[in-house]
Amino acid sequence: MSTAIIDARGWQSSFDLKTGEKVDPESDAQRIVKEVLQKHPYPGDMDKGSNRWVSDTAFELIDKYMPRFVFLSYAAQYFSLRYTPMTDEARSSIIAGAFREAERFAEVSGYTTIIVGTGDMTPLIDNIDITRLDGLALCTNWSARYAGLYEPSDKDMTLLSSHPFIEKIVPREEVVRLFNGSPDQALRVPEFLMVARRGYAFKALSPTMKTPVMIPSDNFTVPVSLPGSEISDITCIRGEIEKLISDRNIALIILEGAGINDFPLPYRSCSNGKEWFSYETGDAQYLTISTGEHRFFDYPKGYKYYDETDVNNDFPFSGYFKSIPENTFASSFPERSIAVGNKSMFMHMVTGADISIECFSRNMFNQGTMAVIHRDNK
Amino acid sequence: MYTVSDGEIRERFPHRWSACSTSVIESMPFYHVHPGSRCLTIGTAGCNFRCSYCSNAHIAKEDPELQQAKMFNIPPDELVAMAKRMNCRSIVFNVNEPAVSIPSLIELSREAEKAGIMTGCLTNGYMTEESADILASIFSFFNISLKGLSDSFNKNFIGISSSKPVLRNIKRLAKDRYIEITTPVIQGENDNELNNMAEFIAGINPSIPWHVFRLLPEDEMKDEDYPDINFIDNALTEARKKLPYIYFHNFVGSDWVNTICPACGDVVIERFSLGCGGDKLKTDHTIEGCCKSCGSEIHLLSRNLK
Ligand code: SF4
Repeated sequence: MSTAIIDARGWQSSFDLKTGEKVDPESDAQRIVKEVLQKHPYPGDMDKGSNRWVSDTAFELIDKYMPRFVFLSYAAQYFSLRYTPMTDEARSSIIAGAFREAERFAEVSGYTTIIVGTGDMTPLIDNIDITRLDGLALCTNWSARYAGLYEPSDKDMTLLSSHPFIEKIVPREEVVRLFNGSPDQALRVPEFLMVARRGYAFKALSPTMKTPVMIPSDNFTVPVSLPGSEISDITCIRGEIEKLISDRNIALIILEGAGINDFPLPYRSCSNGKEWFSYETGDAQYLTISTGEHRFFDYPKGYKYYDETDVNNDFPFSGYFKSIPENTFASSFPERSIAVGNKSMFMHMVTGADISIECFSRNMFNQGTMAVIHRDNK
Repeated sequence: MYTVSDGEIRERFPHRWSACSTSVIESMPFYHVHPGSRCLTIGTAGCNFRCSYCSNAHIAKEDPELQQAKMFNIPPDELVAMAKRMNCRSIVFNVNEPAVSIPSLIELSREAEKAGIMTGCLTNGYMTEESADILASIFSFFNISLKGLSDSFNKNFIGISSSKPVLRNIKRLAKDRYIEITTPVIQGENDNELNNMAEFIAGINPSIPWHVFRLLPEDEMKDEDYPDINFIDNALTEARKKLPYIYFHNFVGSDWVNTICPACGDVVIERFSLGCGGDKLKTDHTIEGCCKSCGSEIHLLSRNLK
């Protein structure tokens, strides 16, 4: 059983991650984690101390649990770049700050670090309003480039195919073929996947979120920093970790919103997708990195998320995740692993680490922190 | 929001929506309205309050004119068609104050009624008697915010001189509409009023569900401490004797989101609390709206008021 320990800012409780039933924490790992959560309250997604919180929490957990593999995600700069209008200088300084935090982690911890940028951001030029079609068009707030389309009328197709901001409309079969999907996987892929041109974002039904000023660019390659490595695709990162970890401790660090344009370290330019599809910052990209295989189908772009999240009560504290993703590196690594990140309801699923700590935010409102213990028997 | 032209009051931005999305009814929150059902959620822009902690300040407090570029422009028949397409049982106005967009909402409710879709709203309850009557004709279920009783609290945190109009409108809406009530608690400011609020609600109808929210300090209160959960839980001890359906939540993992049968004490509806508009039904144990253990009727919109 995986246990979730939630710290709702000064009030802790423990749950079975899958059922949401309360559990009494007993193990050493659970006690350690409760202490760490209490000592490190989350300052907020856009707070200046948000990335520092990731490192400091990780240091504490390393000290107490002594993992051989650490998976960190620094995302504060992504939230700030996305929502706060700023000058180029301010933007560079924010990204530089995220790198400094990653380097501080590397220096203090002594772990060999693999640093991956999730891709450049680009200014939002305009939205593509897909709310008034005869058919149904869906995308999530965090996806800009892709939207799903269901039961479009001929009028919809004429309008969308000639839309100047839409790059491509790909039928389901072609999407499934691209990622070698099974018939079961195909069921959750939208009838058509729409792809926006760089700088344009789909605007579908959504709750009140702030309007972005920058969105992920079409990042067909992303930077990966690992001196001495020859890798050329994000699917190869897992293999590198497997090779290197035999004789040293490894930290895999994901820097969100950092791409080739802003990467100050030596890096390899790695493929970040397939043919016309490039990963945006999000679960599919993280899972591809942590499993070493393309993971488009876990939560396909433009899928009918509400049909799954409204009805399925499993994993109530895991956002849209409805099962623990299989085949992540940390889930099969026989030695100790941890993950820390300022990505809410996310790290414990995409990393598979023994212990993960993440912020718990909803619509970027700070609700506290959550730790998940998948294993405590190592 | 409204403007006056040629001696007539007109809505400034009809059918412009700041939000249009789907959610489950528990996350509004409505705990006793068709548990587990899906709703289409909508909002406009502007508000007649200026709560210092507003979590939607960028919509409620900003000039609606400046927000138009990012608004959805969807006519009522299309909104209703969307709700049907996404299998929504109701449409719920839940972002800002519905009283600032009455003409659009009248049109929407007409379309919704034709399609057999219920409409509900969250409101701060601060409006004229005439407006309350109009809202009652638009919506069949309400969650009314009872923010504080004292004049000083209302002046300092809400920007109004008195809670009297809100209390009057709660009574009025409870007469022929289904209502739930929500109170965000600011520790040290309105927790001392919890018993009086409970008495007021019980005086109208003790079956009214009351959501006591741990305040999420946002906007002007962004740097304030979050209220202490155990402290507020204790402060509700007396109130719980007056009202059987008290919920204490708006934080992840709350223990106080289940419905307990007032007659036998069994848990009749279980929920998950994710805080900040993320609550969810876990299991509804009622049988045709009654407790499965003792058969007592549970106060639910699905059963009592159709
Ligand atoms: S009534 Fe609600 S929307 Fe209006 S200012 Fe207060 S909290 Fe914000």
